[in-house]
Amino acid sequence: MIGKDRIFSTLEAILKKSPAEQTEAVLIGTTSGLTRYANSTIHQNVAETDTKIYFRTSVGKKMGVASTNSFVPEDLKRTLLNSYYLAENQRQNPDLPELPPKATYPKLQTYLKSTASFTPKQRADKVKRIFKKAAKFDLDIAGSFSTSQSEVAVVNSNGVRAYQPLTGASINVIALSPDSSGYAEGLSRRVRDLDFEAITDTAIRKCLDSKNPKEIKPGRYDVILEPCAVGSIMEWLNYIAFGARQFHEGTSFVSGKIGKKVLGENITIYDDGNDGGGIAFPFDFEGVPKKRVWLIQKGIAKGVVHNSLTAKREEGQSTGHALTPEYPEDPMALNLFVKGGNGSLRRMISSVERGLLITRFHYINGYLDTTKALMTGMTRDGTFLIKEGKVKHGLKNLRFTDSMVRAFSNVVMLSRERQVINSWWQDIGSLVCPAMLVKDFNFSGKTEF
Amino acid sequence: MKEKIRTTVSHLKRSGVDYADLRLVRKTTESIAVKNNNVESLSRDENYGFGIRVLYSGAWGFASSSIVTPAEMKRVAEEAIEIAKASATTLKKPVILAECDPYVDSYASKYEIDPFSVPLEEKIGLLLEVNSVLLKDKRAKVAKSSMDFYDTRKFFASTEGALLEQEILESGVGMEVTAIEGGEVQKRSYPSSHGGDFATRGYEFVRAMDLVGSAERVREEAVALLKAKPLPSTSATIIITGSQMALQVHESCGHPTELDRVLGTEISLAGGSFLSLDKLDNLQYGSKVVDITADASLEGGLGSFAYDDEGVKAQRSYLVKEGRFVGYLTSRETAAVLNQRSNGTMRADGWNRLPLIRMTNINLEPGEPSLEELIADTKSGYLLDTNKSWSIDDQRLNFQFGTEIAWEIRNGKLRGIFKNPVYTGITPEFWNSCDAVCNRKDWHLWGIPNCGKGEPQQVMHVAHGTSPARFHNVKIGVSR
Repeated sequence: MIGKDRIFSTLEAILKKSPAEQTEAVLIGTTSGLTRYANSTIHQNVAETDTKIYFRTSVGKKMGVASTNSFVPEDLKRTLLNSYYLAENQRQNPDLPELPPKATYPKLQTYLKSTASFTPKQRADKVKRIFKKAAKFDLDIAGSFSTSQSEVAVVNSNGVRAYQPLTGASINVIALSPDSSGYAEGLSRRVRDLDFEAITDTAIRKCLDSKNPKEIKPGRYDVILEPCAVGSIMEWLNYIAFGARQFHEGTSFVSGKIGKKVLGENITIYDDGNDGGGIAFPFDFEGVPKKRVWLIQKGIAKGVVHNSLTAKREEGQSTGHALTPEYPEDPMALNLFVKGGNGSLRRMISSVERGLLITRFHYINGYLDTTKALMTGMTRDGTFLIKEGKVKHGLKNLRFTDSMVRAFSNVVMLSRERQVINSWWQDIGSLVCPAMLVKDFNFSGKTEF
Repeated sequence: MKEKIRTTVSHLKRSGVDYADLRLVRKTTESIAVKNNNVESLSRDENYGFGIRVLYSGAWGFASSSIVTPAEMKRVAEEAIEIAKASATTLKKPVILAECDPYVDSYASKYEIDPFSVPLEEKIGLLLEVNSVLLKDKRAKVAKSSMDFYDTRKFFASTEGALLEQEILESGVGMEVTAIEGGEVQKRSYPSSHGGDFATRGYEFVRAMDLVGSAERVREEAVALLKAKPLPSTSATIIITGSQMALQVHESCGHPTELDRVLGTEISLAGGSFLSLDKLDNLQYGSKVVDITADASLEGGLGSFAYDDEGVKAQRSYLVKEGRFVGYLTSRETAAVLNQRSNGTMRADGWNRLPLIRMTNINLEPGEPSLEELIADTKSGYLLDTNKSWSIDDQRLNFQFGTEIAWEIRNGKLRGIFKNPVYTGITPEFWNSCDAVCNRKDWHLWGIPNCGKGEPQQVMHVAHGTSPARFHNVKIGVSR
């Protein structure tokens, strides 16, 4: 960790030397460790120290971006000038906005010393206990456990000074028998908040309960999607629907439908970087404070997320959803929440006459027809048949192919309880999802395992 | 720099490691993206750092840093040892590495024109020209064209005495257009989707491609798809062309032959493989016309290099021969399980990542007929082109792909087009239904710059040499 004062003073000194009309520097520093295990042994165990610095400069309506991972002043200056060279050789972009103005940010507790100082030995001790517990049931364990500390800073020539230190801890556990598997995961800014016992128990129980899986014919079934399964669908909906780019290119299922009903009345989806119910992060990579954005409210399309550039085109304001500077047209929701309902997983199961309980999906792809959010993917690590309100037995995995617009219009129950789900952007955001009971979900194929 | 590396490796030797290696990597990237006649992004990145991999008491540790100083190298070396000691507390049996000759060598990939020396004006100008042709129809709403260039220089040194320097230059270019009318959205890309085609070549790779000349056809096909019928749901004979064939090889042959997946060490993210050890030399993976090789020694592919990231020399080996499954992609650790030597597929996507078994150039070897002859020989079927969507289960058996376009084949001739083509199958059944692979005239080494694997995730550049191939009784049009 370089620290706020040194980052600001170094970057301010570099910015003063900028020949550009406007200049921005974004710094992302990370010290992280990840312990990976399979066959109930640690087989990969890694650590990384890195700092990435982007410079974004504009000359008139022309912008260039250059980046380096050296915090040495000479390298920073060279990278700044490289950015300026690119800006000078750019073409005019009439939509290019001014860099954002100075702002204030809410104080969020996102850094925990106990997580920052967590060692490889401590990680190994935690996973050894998982292996030991699984061994009692003659099961193998695979998964990963990571801890990190990082810092993000944005400094620009308009006075933006944003800095946030972060820690993160995440774990996933897969329990394996010769013919079944079970999965559970956890994500938190504080390593102590990860409930290792409960996560292990869930993975083991799912693996044991799905032994001797039976085959079921593809077709339409009522399904209970546990939070991890909902999370992976939400991740894809986010890629294809909730950003200004997809909206304006006309490929999103909400394109041209703001104010119209697009999903079921019980579906509300929003993004809020300041909500500590998820992995909070108060500003975007332009230093714009994150705003709560209602994406879907009671089934009605309400809006999409913006950065400065896409907001200017709309004659609106950025919602604080800029990604790093090399993606100037791709604002993205990183702190997604699906509102829960009044149900519970237990009530869902007891209400299903004949249906499936799905722990999670594997390898979803949402590019089949984005206007309908048509997706395909496989079930994985715990798929069960529910009959007459009870979980009967494990099932061999199935492939679904269905429109998520249709599926999310057919949700008949949502759990009150929600889970924070891992994503690839887990240091600065998360997906917070309930379980869902969906009627008439379409499965198009099956496997032999 | 070599001296710093030697000093650190000597320090590691004195520290009592079983084995250690150090990789120092500098990577420079330039990306240009144009959308609707506007340069959307123009960026350059420089990335520099080192990673140290240590085998200590039979267990692995890896640490890395972007601070390239002698003091930091020493600190990171010690950190890697501490991590290995933590790994050792769960060890069941010590890691054994297959033998490897400690090469001292240097290599630079061949190119004619350094893309970083080509004026930005020329590169941007070409992309804008492509954009303007793509937009010459009011239904063509979104045009994108892009170029990416990568210059990677890496040192590798091991406690066994290897000292290797490699310079690899890669170039990529592509275009796509999205046509929209009345709520219908259709896309066509060239030469491939998801960023285009890539090669370990210089700017001559871009100049050799007729981008502007192809843009009109690409646009017209996207617009024509707006009025096309969806591919019917049935079982049919299909011919898969171009980059889609590359992705088919990638997902259903490349990944399942990775021996780390087979041994269960990738379960936590990407999954395992149906190609278990008992199937080696015992499974008819495909029909007799199916030959699949791994060949990092082939020039110009995104999987081309002289040595992998644990110092094993690039080589060519068969994965599938006359349809029989005969080989895995291996590392020194996994090859030892089979009492073999590594076939050189350990690759890391940067200094800060551990090398993993990755695809190199995984190729469907060319067969007999030309594409024209194959179409003429097909009484009834469909020709499917350019990937749109992809999904496969965690054992690599049940796959489903979507392509951008399909043409009907009737009585040996191409007829009308169909939109939203999807096909699905089970890997060995599918490859056993293959009765023809086209010849070398139609064979191309496709570059795929975005293969994901590992935790923390790594994005690898790989390639697939493929020509169109024909498959029978394939389930198509399964989307709802």
